[in-house]
Amino acid sequence: MKKSPWWTIGWRNMGRSRRRTYITAAALAGGYFSIVVLVGLSRGIVAEMIANGTDLIAGQLQVHAPDYLPDKSIYETFGGVDRASIDSLLTIVESDPDISAAAPRVYAGGLIGSDNFTVPGQLMGVDVDRESSVSRIVRVDEGRLPRPGTNEAVLGGEMARQLEVAIGDELVVVAPSVDGSMGNDLFTVVGIYNSGIVELDATTVIVSIEALQYLIFLDEGQIHEIAAVVLDPWDAEDAADRLNPLLQSSGHEAEAVPWTELRPELVEYANLVSASEFIIVIVVFGMAIFGVANTMLMATYERRREFALLLALGASPWGVIKSVLAEAIALGFISILAGVVFTAPFLIWWHVAPLDLSFASGGFSMSGSYVSPVLRVEYPWSAIVVASVSLFGTAVLAATYPAIRSARLPAADTLAGR
Amino acid sequence: MSDKTIAVKTENLWKTYEHDGIEVHAVRDVSLTINSGEFVALAGPSGSGKTTLLNLIGTLTRSTQGKVWIAGRDVTNEPEGVLARLRLQSIGFVFQAYNLLPILTAAENAELSLLLQGMDPAERRQRVLDLFGRIGLNGLEDRKPNKLSGGQQQRVAVARAVVGEPAMVLADEPTANLDSHASDELLDVMEELNRDLGVTFVFATHDPRLMERAHRIVHIVDGAVASDEVKTVQNA
Ligand SMILES: Nc1ncnc2c1ncn2[C@@H]1O[C@H](COP(=O)(O)OP(=O)(O)OP(=O)(O)O)[C@@H](O)[C@H]1O
Ligand SMILES: [Mg+2]
Repeated sequence: MKKSPWWTIGWRNMGRSRRRTYITAAALAGGYFSIVVLVGLSRGIVAEMIANGTDLIAGQLQVHAPDYLPDKSIYETFGGVDRASIDSLLTIVESDPDISAAAPRVYAGGLIGSDNFTVPGQLMGVDVDRESSVSRIVRVDEGRLPRPGTNEAVLGGEMARQLEVAIGDELVVVAPSVDGSMGNDLFTVVGIYNSGIVELDATTVIVSIEALQYLIFLDEGQIHEIAAVVLDPWDAEDAADRLNPLLQSSGHEAEAVPWTELRPELVEYANLVSASEFIIVIVVFGMAIFGVANTMLMATYERRREFALLLALGASPWGVIKSVLAEAIALGFISILAGVVFTAPFLIWWHVAPLDLSFASGGFSMSGSYVSPVLRVEYPWSAIVVASVSLFGTAVLAATYPAIRSARLPAADTLAGR
Repeated sequence: MSDKTIAVKTENLWKTYEHDGIEVHAVRDVSLTINSGEFVALAGPSGSGKTTLLNLIGTLTRSTQGKVWIAGRDVTNEPEGVLARLRLQSIGFVFQAYNLLPILTAAENAELSLLLQGMDPAERRQRVLDLFGRIGLNGLEDRKPNKLSGGQQQRVAVARAVVGEPAMVLADEPTANLDSHASDELLDVMEELNRDLGVTFVFATHDPRLMERAHRIVHIVDGAVASDEVKTVQNA
């Protein structure tokens, strides 16, 4: 055999029932489109949720004293006596290739009082310069951030409303300190933030790390937390695994925890979405496979005399199977091409300019994460590969039965019209 | 048993079909030997089993009982793939209905078995053109079958059967739909191929004109051989 004739025959047959070929290819391309876009959208939502769930305050990775969680006791600090020990810890954390920024924090619970009202609150002491590259909460809507070492505070809008205070007003802050006494001091409101999550805006007060350490009698080197940014959230676990031995060998009693441990419900949601992607693929191509199988059955049935003739003339049954499969492969190829050509512009468009649905709904929070009303589409590379492979698979699988049937035609009877 | 001078041999060949529980013996205990280079007609009334016998000889159908040898080789139980190759290489078929593919041109139809053999396009086109010249199909190479007369279509079918230079051609009622002029022309072509190339021809027919020109007539009645007469005027 110099050259297989089956491609020639297969190709010519494709052109024969052009309309049906186009319709089938369009259906497959449509399936491809729905899979890639649906998966892209759902990944966009997941990415948005993870981003919102981590970059508001938590970061994608945190370092704590081993017993700090889950109670967040103010006694469970790590670090040293002076600020230098914090800096050396930050250097270690930021040395990880996946970590782009890190910020130290001190927390305390206390009472916040204005002239007429008092509310319970959570005080968060931050390194102002570093914090802005780690969390979104320090993006104030009004006013400015506290200056380091001063008794200045930034409140959530909701707390400001409850206390009936504005920028420039004074607050009385009372908080239990680590020596068992009560620390208390006056703070000036210098800024207001609005995170979009009311519970947070009603409780969290941002002050400088030095002021809070002073209030609750911590040394300058003692902190409760380092929050870090991991550029791709899914690298956080690896980063934590790399950091822990480094922290240990540095002599600090501290451990790194990725967001996946801090927010398991987000991970579960992401897993649920992956599972649903699988279902989408199965359903879409499950439907496609019947369509294609039906088309191929019709197409091969119409040509049964032709197959019988070829078999009678001495085509091998395997050759007939190959010719039908070749046709299916060509069909799959055309469909993928059409699918890509059709899908790519939408995908790129939606990725670059996410659909803003805020005209229809405001933002909402889902398992404690704020989800903005923007449909962001991620490039679902794995889904693109999976969709392409399943599309080819669908075309070939759907053609297998018609191919075998054609190869087994009784040549003589079929030619006689029996 | 690998006697190349015997084109085909059958031994106690039976083919039985079942219709609503009743057995129909389409071919009944046929033992027949056809030598290479023969020009044989299988004659008999409609329903006598001519097509069935031809299909058995051509390995298109398997026998219910009995054996078939082709060029000395027992093909009774060969697998389908092996039979396909055998047909491709050494048997040409002219079917009762011409069975040309409507989407292919006359030349492409005639090229089919060469295409299946994997011959390169230029060579197979040349062969078909030569043959078309010899059988009066000059200039009709690029016509689709529906633009050809019945006789022309039948000649294309014969061209397709002989172009691969098979050892044997099996033709089922090749003249059935032709007027006497067209049928004479077609027979001239086949006789010439038989004489010049030594191709064995086996026809199923009830056309007296064809029987007249056959060198040997095997009469089939009810699936069985009723008589087998070899004509004296034979130049083989
Ligand atoms: N595939 C089949 N299934 C059932 N019965 C068949 C089949 N093929 C042939 N027969 C029967 O076998 C008998 C012989 O048929 P066959 O076609 O061989 O006759 P024939 O001599 O070629 O007839 P004709 O001259 O009309 O072409 C008939 O009774 C026919 O009905
Ligand atoms: Mg017949």
